[in-house]
Amino acid sequence: MIDDLDVRCPIPDRGAAPILPVPVEGVQAPRPRIGIFSLTSCEGCSLTILEQEDELLSLLGAIDIVDFREAKSGADGEVDIAFVDGAVSSPHDVARVRQIRKNARILVAIGACACLGGVNTLKHAQSEHDYRQFVYGDRAPQFPTGDARPLSAVVRVDYELPGCPMVGAEFLRFVRCVLSGRPFRLPNDAVCVECKRRGTLCLYEKGETCLGPVTRGGCAAICPAYGARCEGCRGLLGNEQLRIFARNCLQLHGTPLAEILDRLRLFGVFQGETLPDSQPPDGPPT
Amino acid sequence: MWKRIVTHDELIERIDALGRERRLIGPVAREAPGCHPPLRYFYEHVTRAAQLSLDFDYCVYGPKAFVLPPRETLFRFDRSAGTFVATPIMDAQPTALVGAHPCDLHGLRLLDAVFQNDRPDEQYRARRSALFVVGIDCARPCDARATCADWGTNRVVGGCDVMLYADPRNCGNNRRNAQYAVEFCSEAGRTWLGDAGRADDDAVAVSAGYHARKDAAFTRRLSASVEQLPALVRASYDSHIWEKHAARCYSCGSCNLVCPTCYCFDIQDDCDFNGAGGSRQREWDACMLPDFAVVAGGHNFRLLAAQRLRHRVMRKAAWIQQRTGLSACVGCGRCDRACTASISLIDMLNEAAQEAGNAHR
Amino acid sequence: MRTDRPLMCPPQVSATALCDYVPRPARVMSITKMTPHDALFSLELIDGKTLGHRPGQFVQFSILGVGECPISVCSSPTRPQQFQLSVRRVGEVTSAIHRLRTGEIVGVRGPLGRGIEPSEIDGRDILVAVGGCALAPARSLIHYILDQRVRFGRFDLLYGAKSPREMLFRNELKIWRDSRDLNCQITVDAGDATWRGRTGAVTRLFEDLPPMNTTNTVAVIIGPPAMFRHVLTEVLKRGIPADRVFCSLERRMKCGIGKCGHCQVNDLYSCIDGPVFRYSEIRSRPEAFA
Repeated sequence: MIDDLDVRCPIPDRGAAPILPVPVEGVQAPRPRIGIFSLTSCEGCSLTILEQEDELLSLLGAIDIVDFREAKSGADGEVDIAFVDGAVSSPHDVARVRQIRKNARILVAIGACACLGGVNTLKHAQSEHDYRQFVYGDRAPQFPTGDARPLSAVVRVDYELPGCPMVGAEFLRFVRCVLSGRPFRLPNDAVCVECKRRGTLCLYEKGETCLGPVTRGGCAAICPAYGARCEGCRGLLGNEQLRIFARNCLQLHGTPLAEILDRLRLFGVFQGETLPDSQPPDGPPT
Repeated sequence: MWKRIVTHDELIERIDALGRERRLIGPVAREAPGCHPPLRYFYEHVTRAAQLSLDFDYCVYGPKAFVLPPRETLFRFDRSAGTFVATPIMDAQPTALVGAHPCDLHGLRLLDAVFQNDRPDEQYRARRSALFVVGIDCARPCDARATCADWGTNRVVGGCDVMLYADPRNCGNNRRNAQYAVEFCSEAGRTWLGDAGRADDDAVAVSAGYHARKDAAFTRRLSASVEQLPALVRASYDSHIWEKHAARCYSCGSCNLVCPTCYCFDIQDDCDFNGAGGSRQREWDACMLPDFAVVAGGHNFRLLAAQRLRHRVMRKAAWIQQRTGLSACVGCGRCDRACTASISLIDMLNEAAQEAGNAHR
Repeated sequence: MRTDRPLMCPPQVSATALCDYVPRPARVMSITKMTPHDALFSLELIDGKTLGHRPGQFVQFSILGVGECPISVCSSPTRPQQFQLSVRRVGEVTSAIHRLRTGEIVGVRGPLGRGIEPSEIDGRDILVAVGGCALAPARSLIHYILDQRVRFGRFDLLYGAKSPREMLFRNELKIWRDSRDLNCQITVDAGDATWRGRTGAVTRLFEDLPPMNTTNTVAVIIGPPAMFRHVLTEVLKRGIPADRVFCSLERRMKCGIGKCGHCQVNDLYSCIDGPVFRYSEIRSRPEAFA
């Protein structure tokens, strides 16, 4: 059973992911055209860009934002890099993200919704009919929404910047990498690494089952630093870690696996069947 | 030799005097609701001596971060218009670390041996030479995980300027009655607390039986002597114990990062948006992390968690000692506390020693 | 924070005197493409000094803003005006190095590590067995011997490449093959239409090797881990003692001064104890050829 556990993980290194043409020294390269788009989301990830106040001016000096609903209006046109937040959850989203893909040299999924489905996937606990009925009532037929999916389920995604919201510093690092022609890679380490580097008191000491040990770091361990356990918004490091975690949970922390899997639903990391609580952690494969 | 007694009030006054010339670092209590006990201590910057809790049990992290910061800039560079200007960054601000326990002083000694040897690390040396260290003895095991008595790291043999020992006759409930016997370890220390030259009787009285009482209070033990351990652990290189323990390991690196003697680091560049300026930085790394031993082209020399775990234990128990002459494990128990998968270094060492010992017989 | 005086170019003070981590500026004098992913860079230190290395030592090649990576010096100290680095494009830093143009200024730290001491090889018969792109580090030693040929006895060079296309220093290989100063044998794993030489693993070249005076022979082996094991077997079988067999081990050195831990081969640091090790030092260390 545990060996069958399967989660969505952000892909740290897309290998042949495209980069922009490398600037040649002494030649003034045109600033790359950037579009920032939102699908089904709170647009918090897009706002994160505006929150980079200390670096916003130098950022704006290096790029040319041609489309950004949160900050300026513009026409959909060709861009060098499209940053897209939000999940794909309607036929309109599908058409939109396909158009964005067509117009963009590099497509970057930003935030948990675009990378994993995000909190939008919580509705999957109900049937499509039920959640549409719940939200729209009698007018449901006028709102053709469906299950929330990450961008990668619909189009080719070049890079993913996960997190709820996306990490501002990681976004800036991404832009610097792309501008200087370097490949971008997500950290391949657990949240614990940054948590320990900043000297936080481990939440396990308080008896809490933090997801930090199996979640992809890069967020500066901001939640544990403020006393809140990690909920895995950046996705897990991999299925191998999840399986070890699943085996350890009940045995070491008294946390039923079902509880962990339910927590992993929050950001759409886990979408499978929740195991019944009575299932022993090392139960026979079903 | 313990030379004199210093009262709590005098000590506080002297620390504040130190604080007027240097930035102060020392143990600070933080409330930790939900923890047992609900108080945890951290070495932190303070502005006044009154903020320190000198009667702390242990600090969650060692003082490593103050000599080898988690992230530091090695140099800044500017290559605009084809130039090449590199400016090393050194942090040599006078600092005082007040209230380091013996295990952490041994940790500092090991870092000194590694970073100030024949290939010195300038950034470390600058910081270390500006550091004034006041140690304080813990007097009793900090918790059941400590094994410092067996490593011989529960007694101080240098690495500080002054060492303080709480007088057991006067350390009861009222902190203001506390007093300490003082051992001087450097000229700067003598100047700071005033060495009258001859030992005073009270200080000598405090020292009587002090270490014997403390040593006897430890419950967690190493199953082999610290002299035999390196050979026994080496002999267990091909044992199955590494796989057994690694089966629970997430490779999160916590054990490395909280260790007061783990000093591995990574070096990375950062640059401005226009690419002309930037800096080269180093950051704490951890040999338990999956990508630690990856070489160009992608080959990983320690692909399995068991290989990484073994590497870490070998370093702690044998390899670093063979290079520096100092034990790389100071028995502080931090790695065991930090492991959320309940993997214990001491258990592994004991198992390895036992296995190798049995094979030998 | 105290900021030290900037190191202007050309620097008044050697960078290494201030901080081991600051590279010395060097100018790219020429770039020669050797294979689709290997290029040869000739560098000159801006301060006019010679690198002062031994065969087998390496430098940290720095592209500021991208990072640095360890590269073996592939020129011989007997040709000191410039030093040469052969760089294979495999990662972030090496890709940036491949984008360099002649005249640009780069950073260099080193020479670092333990190379081959002249006293180890003086007056000896030398057998060099090389696989793949390891011809680059070996070339430093090859030139070193050829430039002072009378100081050495017999000299055998065995080189195995993946394919003719992947071969480094093709022009020099041709010269060496035809030279009387050494016995140079070449093989490729898979030939192509133009290849008239031998095919097969580099160990096959041992079959035709004339008997050696093993009491006076030094063997130097450089290549990927898989090649090591097989070549070592051949060399030891012929009776060359383990302390006269030298192996160069490639690891990802970062600090280059024995601290950061990345290049460890069990308890050894390949950046200060190596990269050139005696086989007798590493045979009991399982990570050496893992």
